[in-house]
Amino acid sequence: MDLPCGTRNFDYARDMAVLRTRTHWVLFLALLVVLFTMPLYLNKYWLGVSNLIGITIIAALGLNLLVGYCGQLSVGHAGFIAVGAYTTAVLTGKLGVPFLLALLCSGIMAGLIGLIFGLPSVRVKGFYLAITTIAAQFIIIWIINHWSVTGGFVGLSVPSASIGGLIFKSEASRFYLIMTVTALCVLLAKNLARGRVGRAFVAIRDNDLAAEVMGINLLYYKLLAFFIGCFLAGIAGALFAHWSGFVNAENFTLTDSILYIGMVIIGGLGTTIGPILGVIFIRLLQQGIMYISPGLERAFPAIPAGFTSGIAPMVFGLVIILFLVLEPRGLAHRWHLFRAAYRLWPFSY
Amino acid sequence: MAELLQYVITGIAVGMVYALIALGFALVWKSSSVANLALGQLVLVSSWFTYGMLVQAKLPYWVGLPLTIIFAIFLGWIIERLTLRPLIAQPILSLITVTLGVGYFLEGLVTFIWPVSVAALPRLFPQDPIRIGPAIVSQEYVWAAVISLVLFGLLSLFFKYHKMGIAMRATADDQLAVQACAIPVTSVFSMSWIFACIVAAIGGILISSIGGITHGLVDTGLKSFSVVILGGLDSFIGCMVAGPIIGLCENLGGGYLTKIIGSGIKDIIPFIIIIVVMVFKPYGLFGEERIERI
Repeated sequence: MDLPCGTRNFDYARDMAVLRTRTHWVLFLALLVVLFTMPLYLNKYWLGVSNLIGITIIAALGLNLLVGYCGQLSVGHAGFIAVGAYTTAVLTGKLGVPFLLALLCSGIMAGLIGLIFGLPSVRVKGFYLAITTIAAQFIIIWIINHWSVTGGFVGLSVPSASIGGLIFKSEASRFYLIMTVTALCVLLAKNLARGRVGRAFVAIRDNDLAAEVMGINLLYYKLLAFFIGCFLAGIAGALFAHWSGFVNAENFTLTDSILYIGMVIIGGLGTTIGPILGVIFIRLLQQGIMYISPGLERAFPAIPAGFTSGIAPMVFGLVIILFLVLEPRGLAHRWHLFRAAYRLWPFSY
Repeated sequence: MAELLQYVITGIAVGMVYALIALGFALVWKSSSVANLALGQLVLVSSWFTYGMLVQAKLPYWVGLPLTIIFAIFLGWIIERLTLRPLIAQPILSLITVTLGVGYFLEGLVTFIWPVSVAALPRLFPQDPIRIGPAIVSQEYVWAAVISLVLFGLLSLFFKYHKMGIAMRATADDQLAVQACAIPVTSVFSMSWIFACIVAAIGGILISSIGGITHGLVDTGLKSFSVVILGGLDSFIGCMVAGPIIGLCENLGGGYLTKIIGSGIKDIIPFIIIIVVMVFKPYGLFGEERIERI
């Protein structure tokens, strides 16, 4: 049910194309137009939210490649994002390296750190790996807080991103920058996932021993998954640093790491659309909670004082549990069901 | 010399409490192979509940502490029933992340009910320092270590001789065979979570009566993962051996390395140990090495 009736595969290239039908193209162009005209009708606050969503999508894509495709659970993603953010902060802020180069370096740096902590994945998996990455998170944050180069507990300020003479200072210009990078990353993730690498990842996820017997180099592909996942985390971190103008270890806690896992699970593991849906869902939920909680607090004075700060983790924890129990395949599955139903309408199958 | 002895004794005593919390993890892992990553949050919640009973409701010890245990039993039962039971036979990824979700929820719940982030429990033990040779050690640590040891002994006896304990060990070995012997596997799972929560609650009371209640308790729970990893996931003896080792490393490292490397090194020593163990001996000191077949 993936394609409308009458779509035929005359050659391999057309079989593999992402956009298959004319409707696909129209919808895709409409999406692009809506996306890139958003600064015209969104105010500054919501542009900021969209920027954060774009950045988070990049990070979630990386985590999805690692967890969803390759099956290597990482609970330290925020730590790797922090590596990217601090790399660009040091490179552009202190050494005056151009933005694009620093962006690339942040990704590579985070990827290399990810490789180090991914090494145990060759021998262990599941819970052991989760603990290793939690340890990675704590060690990275500790080093950031205690190293003179990274500014310690105070943090570092980061200059605005600039390419050539173009300085991305306003929220709208940053929106274009972030959305372009996000689109490129989505394309990268999609193509990786459906190519040779992605197939190897899926084989490793489903049964790593069987994959090894089939001739897949486990060491290479597991480390590659860590490198790519953390590379995207580093890119996201660098964009975050330039977007917020300031980095501090407080922005990259274990709670954030758990939230990233939650996003990927809510969206649907092992799909490209999944992380995008999951990130939008969680970030909008965050906005919704922020919007209604002061009102609720005023309306019901009996609510304990911790309501505003405590309600968000409670809701997120609950959402993660509910999705795992009720819809383990995430929003992406719902989206596929909707598409199939839409194509077949008015028939049920 | 006095300094060294002091670090050693404190380290061993603190390590015993870590070992106690780690025991709760091993219990669940052994019977249902679920990795409970919400350990720290369980400790946090039960400490705050004790605070609510003893300080806010001003109940005497002999009412407040049993109530905490009853709360822990309820908590364990409800977590297993609502989140783990529907996920039986799901991939291990879901089982791990659902406990992360539980932990997240519990942390929010604690902030929700007790917005003050720091509080002190009334001191449960006499505080007069005792002298062991040249070292001066707070009596509380010794009490905590003794209670942990007693609990460990009780749990070992339970697993060796009680019907439920034997059923739990059997479930760990082979779930299908156990079902064929008419042992209700679900109630074994439920029981293991209840025990884990009780152990976490007692560990929480011990630690927070010494050091107060903060969100650092979550980190304490995470640190006890290093005990589990070093000792081997499915071994009680491993927990009791690795606990003091971790406590020792932490206190000795904190005592002597702080001058060289910088403050706060104490807090990440357990995590560095995790990485080292992972690279060199991933199944720990006493863990059973799993041989996989396709």
